[in-house]
Amino acid sequence: MLKIENLHVSVGDKPILKGLTLDVPAGEVHAIMGPNGAGKSTLGYALSGRPGYEATEGSVQWAGEDLLELDPAARAAKGVFLSFQYPIEIPGVPALTFVRTALNAQKRARGEEEVSAPAFLKAVKAASAALKMDFEMLKRPLNVGFSGGEKKRMEILQMALLEPSLLILDETDSGLDIDALRIVSEGVNALRSPDRAMLVITHYQRLLDYIKPDRVHVLAAGRIVASGGPELAHQLEAEGYDKYLPVAA
Amino acid sequence: MAAVQETIDAVAALEKYEHGFISDIETEYAPRGLNADIVRFISEKKGEPEWMLEWRLAAYERWLAMEEPTWASVKYTPVDYQSLFYYAAPKQKDGPRSLDEVDPEILEIYKKLGIPLKEQEVLAGVEGAARYAVDAVFDSVSVVTTFKAELAKVGVIFMPISEALREYPDLVRQYLGSVVPVSDNYFAALNSAVFSDGSFVYIPPGVRCPMELSTYFRINASQTGQFERTLIIADKGSYCSYLEGCTAPMRDENQLHAAVVELVVLDDAEIKYSTVQNWYPGDAEGKGGIYNFVTKRADCRGDRSKVSWTQVETGSAVTWKYPSCVLKGEDSSGEFYSIAITNGHQQADTGTKMIHLGKNSKSRIIAKAVSAGKSDSTYRGLVSVHPKATGVRNFTQCDSLLIGGDCGSHTVPYIEARNGSAQLEHEATTTRLSDDQLFYAQQRGLSQEEAVALLVNGFVRDVMQKLPMEFAVEAQKLVAISLEGSVG
Amino acid sequence: MTAVDLRDPSTFPTRRVEAWKYTDLRKVLRETPPPSPVVEIAPGGPFAGLGGEELAFANGRAVGADAFVASGEQTLRLRFVSEATGTGHSAAVRIAVRPGARLTLLESHEGQGAAYVANYRIELDIPAGAEVTRVVLVDEPADAISVAVTQVKTAPGAIYRQTTITSGARLQRQETHLVHGGEGTEITLDGLYALSGERHTDLTSVVRHGGLNGATSQLTKGVVRDTARGVFQGKIVVERGADGTDARMGHHALILGERAEVDAKPELEIYADDVQCAHGNTVGNLDEDALFYMEQRGLPADEARALLTQAFLIEVVDRIAHEGAREEVRSWLTARL
Repeated sequence: MLKIENLHVSVGDKPILKGLTLDVPAGEVHAIMGPNGAGKSTLGYALSGRPGYEATEGSVQWAGEDLLELDPAARAAKGVFLSFQYPIEIPGVPALTFVRTALNAQKRARGEEEVSAPAFLKAVKAASAALKMDFEMLKRPLNVGFSGGEKKRMEILQMALLEPSLLILDETDSGLDIDALRIVSEGVNALRSPDRAMLVITHYQRLLDYIKPDRVHVLAAGRIVASGGPELAHQLEAEGYDKYLPVAA
Repeated sequence: MAAVQETIDAVAALEKYEHGFISDIETEYAPRGLNADIVRFISEKKGEPEWMLEWRLAAYERWLAMEEPTWASVKYTPVDYQSLFYYAAPKQKDGPRSLDEVDPEILEIYKKLGIPLKEQEVLAGVEGAARYAVDAVFDSVSVVTTFKAELAKVGVIFMPISEALREYPDLVRQYLGSVVPVSDNYFAALNSAVFSDGSFVYIPPGVRCPMELSTYFRINASQTGQFERTLIIADKGSYCSYLEGCTAPMRDENQLHAAVVELVVLDDAEIKYSTVQNWYPGDAEGKGGIYNFVTKRADCRGDRSKVSWTQVETGSAVTWKYPSCVLKGEDSSGEFYSIAITNGHQQADTGTKMIHLGKNSKSRIIAKAVSAGKSDSTYRGLVSVHPKATGVRNFTQCDSLLIGGDCGSHTVPYIEARNGSAQLEHEATTTRLSDDQLFYAQQRGLSQEEAVALLVNGFVRDVMQKLPMEFAVEAQKLVAISLEGSVG
Repeated sequence: MTAVDLRDPSTFPTRRVEAWKYTDLRKVLRETPPPSPVVEIAPGGPFAGLGGEELAFANGRAVGADAFVASGEQTLRLRFVSEATGTGHSAAVRIAVRPGARLTLLESHEGQGAAYVANYRIELDIPAGAEVTRVVLVDEPADAISVAVTQVKTAPGAIYRQTTITSGARLQRQETHLVHGGEGTEITLDGLYALSGERHTDLTSVVRHGGLNGATSQLTKGVVRDTARGVFQGKIVVERGADGTDARMGHHALILGERAEVDAKPELEIYADDVQCAHGNTVGNLDEDALFYMEQRGLPADEARALLTQAFLIEVVDRIAHEGAREEVRSWLTARL
């Protein structure tokens, strides 16, 4: 399970997370909601080890290890997967090549056997069909010229193929129309399992109609300020975040 | 679209070179030609300290040993340095000058040029209009400087450099030649030997100069070279905006203007330097016009120091000019915004150098060149990153617009990166004025010349917006006037 | 500008010669080097697997003929083999192409000795309706000095594609002068350099558009590591009356060593107004966001860097029109990254 304790994270000189504490047991889906600028994306980056996001205090335990000690690739090999709000374009590297290289790098790091080309292709075909993605698109450079929706599907496809155990979804619903949202959510739901933990970061309740959370947390001004069941998301949708915003001095 | 209307009106109303009138002013000259005695003559006329004379003579010796540069893409009849006058000054009384003592005929000239020299007139001007102080340089001497007293109240020194040499010799001595050394190049050496006037500005620490400072250069006398020297020091945390304008009468001869401008910028200080250069470009056949061979350089010594050069170059027969920034301070920043317009037989070889020495120094270059007629325009620029300068950023955009098939437009950038953390980006395009756009504008009722002015002003808009407002209006008119007769 | 002649040290340019500003030949070569010995070489070279005819020079001496006339559809492997140590050699070769011919010119500079000096001149004439694809693979030892100058003349309606791939040498220059045929002539002039250690390479080109409606596309990409130095000088000239010219030039380099250097001078000299010309130049390092993204998916940092570097360069390889040559170059490059 994921155990975050009193996490402080700064970007440059600016403190963003200021003592965040959160537990996500395996098998559960937790939603992180909050106003713009609360530090939601920073949480995702801090957990995955993005350079420039410095943990100044606190700890993050995942599967019995201190995540903060590891570089991003080692965290990925431990099963940490961040679905980017804005997936990166990588010219010159075909999507298929990229995913296979990443998968084999993770397997090597875990001391597992690398996946064979036919087995990989078979897995990709099944996963892309489930996400209604055109297989030909996967031969193109990763995310280059993809639409917003295609990029998000590409993230979920990678998630399905890399089989991570800690899934962090950063605003996965942004830029998706209803049909795409449904397909992407089905992809995510298919990955729910008793040994996986999932953090769904979102500004709107909409996504949570499709990916039902076990718990909902409100992140404001760098801290978790409220926690509750799924009903909390509906309450936020109705009332907004106003009451969690810092009171003007 | 008020600005567009201004342009259109300007095209309709004005002659090709409106500042080309010759004024008959009683003038005192140095003997023709150049030798050590002429240098002594100039120094004595200015009542300079002994060290200054030594400095000039050393510069003169260096100049004798140097060769005129030939690498620029310009061709011109060589200057006969011995046939020029190196000093020409309107006759006037010695001693402190006030506006009342200035020859009314000279005042009349400035009035004709639209340069406000009477403070009360500036003050009585349109409400809300920016005030600016003027140093008026007429041939070899400064004739008047306005708002000196008001500026002195906040500690800003703004005066002719000849006066500063007498009143603040230590300050001048500390900085003069520290940015552009005497031996920097042929024209800088010549200028150091014979410069006769120019402006001196010192902004004390933490002071934001309360008004725009400007110098207005006028070459009036015939067969005379103008060698002005400008030195601006922005002390820690200070700011000033400085404008420079220039015109000259229409004469058949080529006249030499070899200026040196030095800017010193200390920690957290900023200088914004704008030029509208409208020296006489020569006639339609390429006869006459100013040779504008200028060395301008800013030394961003201080951390977080900033310099922004903006230039609108429409005049001169031949221009050779590269306002540069030496970015020594950490997080220092240099900008160069340029519009160069050539028509007739004009030639311009201009650009900038951004020398990145300091960590995290940044620079930005936007250069727009418009060539018409039989003219030739070259952007020549250098961006260099030294091995110890980490985190450097540069963005350069050079766009050229060609009007007609007889002109030339060239882009010669040099990019030298010696540090792995630099991010340098350079883009350049060359295109013609679009027939479709021209037709579209004409279909909507603009004359051909109006349409050209409209489109060209659109092309240079990014840079135009960097100019202080008073100058932007003048510059826009100039763009239109400079391109008269370019299509058809 | 006089050509470099190894017999005459006064023809060795210094950096004070503008065209050699970044490649100071005189600094590394002051005297005429002793002549290289006569050596025997076997047929082969990096493109041997692609068949065709072979025209080879061993230490500057022609193994067979020293000129070639291409007709019909042909592949020519032009080999410059240096098997010399501390000596110098020169060679000149002329290649003519008959109208309608399609020539694949696979050129290799194979350096097998040490500290040699090589100086080559290549002339290539392409008439209307002919098509030449030239791939130049320059693989030399780190202490060699080499200068190769190619003059290409294209007639209207000729097609010429050139890709130069090099790993540099102590001082190396590949220079191309191309006269553009204008109407219907399509030129591709690409380059790729991957340098490490103290290597230096200089890719210089001058493309002269004299005719109407000519098109040129240039793309050069490079990576420098350690204290290596990459130089790109590209000049496009559009002469008076060469209306309808469409010329694009790009040079993009990655500096992957703290003390590595890239010098670029992309130049446009334009005397006609109905033109579309552009150049772009970037110098930088690997995209930090892409690196993090790759690491997040589990790629170790080194592997992510290598993959991004290869992806950056591969664009030039992908543009090689000849499939066999493209794959040869791809594996040559992969082995070096």
